[in-house]
Amino acid sequence: MMHLPPIPAWESLHPLVIHFPIVLLLLSPLFLLIGAALSPAKGLPYRYAGLLILLLGTVSLFVAAATGEAAGELAERGGGVDAVLTAHENLASETRLLFVGLSVILLGMIALPRILHRQETRLSSTFMPLAYLVFYSVGILYLVNTAHAGGRLVHEFGVHAEMPASDGATSATATEAQEPAESRTD
Amino acid sequence: MNHAESPIGNKIKMVLVACTLILFAAGARAATTLENMQAAYNGESNAHARYLAFAGKADSEGYGQVASLFRAAARAEEIHAGNHAAVIRKMGATPAAKIEAPVVKSTRENLEAAIKGETYERDHMYPDFLSQARKDHNLAAIKSLNFAKTAEAEHAKLYSAALTQLDHLKGSQAGTYFVCPKCGFTTQELSFAKCPSCFTPKEKFEKIS
Repeated sequence: MMHLPPIPAWESLHPLVIHFPIVLLLLSPLFLLIGAALSPAKGLPYRYAGLLILLLGTVSLFVAAATGEAAGELAERGGGVDAVLTAHENLASETRLLFVGLSVILLGMIALPRILHRQETRLSSTFMPLAYLVFYSVGILYLVNTAHAGGRLVHEFGVHAEMPASDGATSATATEAQEPAESRTD
Repeated sequence: MNHAESPIGNKIKMVLVACTLILFAAGARAATTLENMQAAYNGESNAHARYLAFAGKADSEGYGQVASLFRAAARAEEIHAGNHAAVIRKMGATPAAKIEAPVVKSTRENLEAAIKGETYERDHMYPDFLSQARKDHNLAAIKSLNFAKTAEAEHAKLYSAALTQLDHLKGSQAGTYFVCPKCGFTTQELSFAKCPSCFTPKEKFEKIS
């Protein structure tokens, strides 16, 4: 009979949560783009959806960064791992900051006209969102570079989170996985 | 006919022996990480005492910079001992260390002894302990051992650099070192925003001189 897999510890959650911000934060601008292409009234639900997805993505970015730091504490150091891990961590912090800023800006862009009881125009529904997406592309650049550094850690250096023991099977350890990829230099 | 040599008696004996072996093996496996943590705690506690004694000797010989390095390393070892002790308590045991009187020689010999000790911990002791802790999926032990291993590697580098420059360090004033309060990472320069080992902000590092 199929069972649920064991619940991972906080230090092992990173691989589970890391895909949420990547997907959500890449999906949000698509909704904003559709919203910008439509009339102000028809585009509004898409802008709302874009904002909601962005906020969820930003929150998940915080969870991903926190679990990433916890996972990083268990990763063996030495050789090329150190530089890539540091780059990954720094990029994650910068990406988090960028998307907090982008979330605040989009929230203001969508909420302010409602608070001030102003009619949506093409300027606020199309041109401003398009200008916003130009800034958003900087966030995407940071996001994909953070993901790329994380991918290098896993697939180039064999660093991965410690997973809970499952029945009758032992998972490979970070040490075991690291050995074929690179010889220990320490 | 002797009862002990009967087929049924032999089978019972074999089953009992097998059960004993299985129980012993299971017990030994469970105790290994705990034993390793106790050994690591003992090692770090002694290293803390030894480096403080080495610092006193370096001061008396006029190697102020080296004395500061020993004091910083001693603080790091104290942090490692504290981390290991917390893991031992979490595993339901009491941390125990047998502190031996440090053998203090000349500063050059002390540095050589320190390099030897740190290199052993970095290359053999901690990798072996980590391997066992990973097999046991003991995350707290992995973290504590990993912190110590990374810091010991830095200590070995710092001691080696000090030994190489020892002649130039005669008559030097006390230097400044920074120690991470969480993992004991030791450095001369805070050239990073967060600790490379445990991501603690550099502002929280302890200044040792």
